[in-house]
Amino acid sequence: MELLLVIPPVDIKLGLIIALVGILIVFTALAVMSLIFNQIPKFFKNQKRSKLLKEGKIKDHEECCTDLSGETNAAIALALHLYMSEMHDMESNVITIEKVSRRYSPWNSKIYGLRNLNFNK
Amino acid sequence: MKRALTVFGIILFLGLISWAVPNQKMGDLGREVAGNEVVKEKSSQSSDLNQGSQASADHAKRGVKNFWSYSGFANASIKHFLMILAGLLFLYLSIRHGFEPLLLVPIGMGILIGNIPFLLNSGMEIGIYEKGSVLNYLYFGVTAGIYPPLIFLGLGAMTDFSYLISNPKTLLLGAAAQLGIFVTLIAALYLGFTLPEAASIGIIGGADGPTAIYTASRLANGVKMWNGIQSANLIGPIAIAAYSYMALVPLIQPPIMRLLTTKKERLIRMKSPRQVSRLEKILFPIIGLLLTCFIAPSALPLLGMLFFGNILRESGVTRRLADTAKTSLLDIVTILIGLTVGASTQADVFLTTKSLMIFALGAVSFMVATAGGVSFAKLMNLFLKPENRVNPLIGSAGVSAVPAAARVSQVEGLRADPTNHLLMHAMGPNVAGVIGSAVAAGIMLSFLL
Repeated sequence: MELLLVIPPVDIKLGLIIALVGILIVFTALAVMSLIFNQIPKFFKNQKRSKLLKEGKIKDHEECCTDLSGETNAAIALALHLYMSEMHDMESNVITIEKVSRRYSPWNSKIYGLRNLNFNK
Repeated sequence: MKRALTVFGIILFLGLISWAVPNQKMGDLGREVAGNEVVKEKSSQSSDLNQGSQASADHAKRGVKNFWSYSGFANASIKHFLMILAGLLFLYLSIRHGFEPLLLVPIGMGILIGNIPFLLNSGMEIGIYEKGSVLNYLYFGVTAGIYPPLIFLGLGAMTDFSYLISNPKTLLLGAAAQLGIFVTLIAALYLGFTLPEAASIGIIGGADGPTAIYTASRLANGVKMWNGIQSANLIGPIAIAAYSYMALVPLIQPPIMRLLTTKKERLIRMKSPRQVSRLEKILFPIIGLLLTCFIAPSALPLLGMLFFGNILRESGVTRRLADTAKTSLLDIVTILIGLTVGASTQADVFLTTKSLMIFALGAVSFMVATAGGVSFAKLMNLFLKPENRVNPLIGSAGVSAVPAAARVSQVEGLRADPTNHLLMHAMGPNVAGVIGSAVAAGIMLSFLL
């Protein structure tokens, strides 16, 4: 009770007004921002659609510029990555052992390629 | 042997002091002592060797006495030890438990620095409130409101607003969590604070340290007059309360979040955020700046710097500037603001009933802000289509403790459903809270400056 007497009532009234006006303004400012940023992607989408329509790339009833979520993008990126990393020359997968007959020559003879090193000590 | 060395050391120490006292520039007492002795010496030229050694011993005694009077032990009071304990607690919480270490380590160390007891008004110019001291120069950045906008610059360069842009309705959660500011304003008025002081205390509920410091430096700086009453200097207590509760967000928020939500609500899965184009990211700071600052121009230093930092990041052509703003510059300012705010808690200025009340109000403010955000999320769900519903746990992230509050939403979400990740969704209201608290501060300043 004493505390209440210390404060001039004008301060409390003004405080209440500031609080009410303040919360209203904060809400209004952020709500307006919310509305604007809700509309911006729609605006860009419409612009792109009308441009594509003019160019004849899509028809009237066709959808354009679908929004892809991050998850969808990540899934596409992963699929592409896996596909690209697995790409290599196609092979028949048949293993063959072909005997190649070569004429003897001392130049390709194994025995002349070895040196008689004394590994046995 | 040890004893002999100790005795020899003491004798040597006393001898050095007695030799040094008449020549050294000491405090007033020392000068007086030296002066008296010089006069005495001039008047008694015929004094013998014994009298001379007696005088030297006196010098030594008085020198030691003088030294003692300047030391921390002679000037310490129970308040100093309490504050030193508080500083140690901050260091313990940050180092041992990892509570916001980037803030609490500089603040904790600052509290220790600011509460080393010393002889006040002795002309040494060491206290943070003494004009001409180094700490006072650094503290000028706080009192003049220089550091907070620089922190906002770094914050803008660091923040990715794309989660907010992809789900703009979460901006409203950021607004709802500002309820704590205005409820605390009224509560502080009822507790006997003047209107400017109450407004500064209320901003603690925004959970935004720089905004709280900025508002307090304008409204509760010990100079501001209101209805013929001079406001108290509450920058230190307000800053410490704001940062302490920001660090304690993981402890304060979860019980309130659980209390206000049902199990079913905590399980709500939100749609993945859509891809945000570069153009939208560039437009956000421009539109945000124009809109918010036309409404509350007093918040221009904060919001201007926030959005400026963000456009440095998103424009893609000023990467070097953005990198500097979000790393080196932000780190430097964080060090300075943490240290000086900590040091500003000098026991004789800080330990007052008002400070205790500010701490109590700060806690209430955080709780109301959390409750405001969560309740508004529930209210929004009543009007949203089932597929667009928001998990009420992200409402608490509307307090602008970035990213601590968003992390709390994530942890609570995972507790209810280990596969439901809410972090991305919670970042929307979290950064909206930064904008909301700065707008709220701007409104307060517009009314009261």
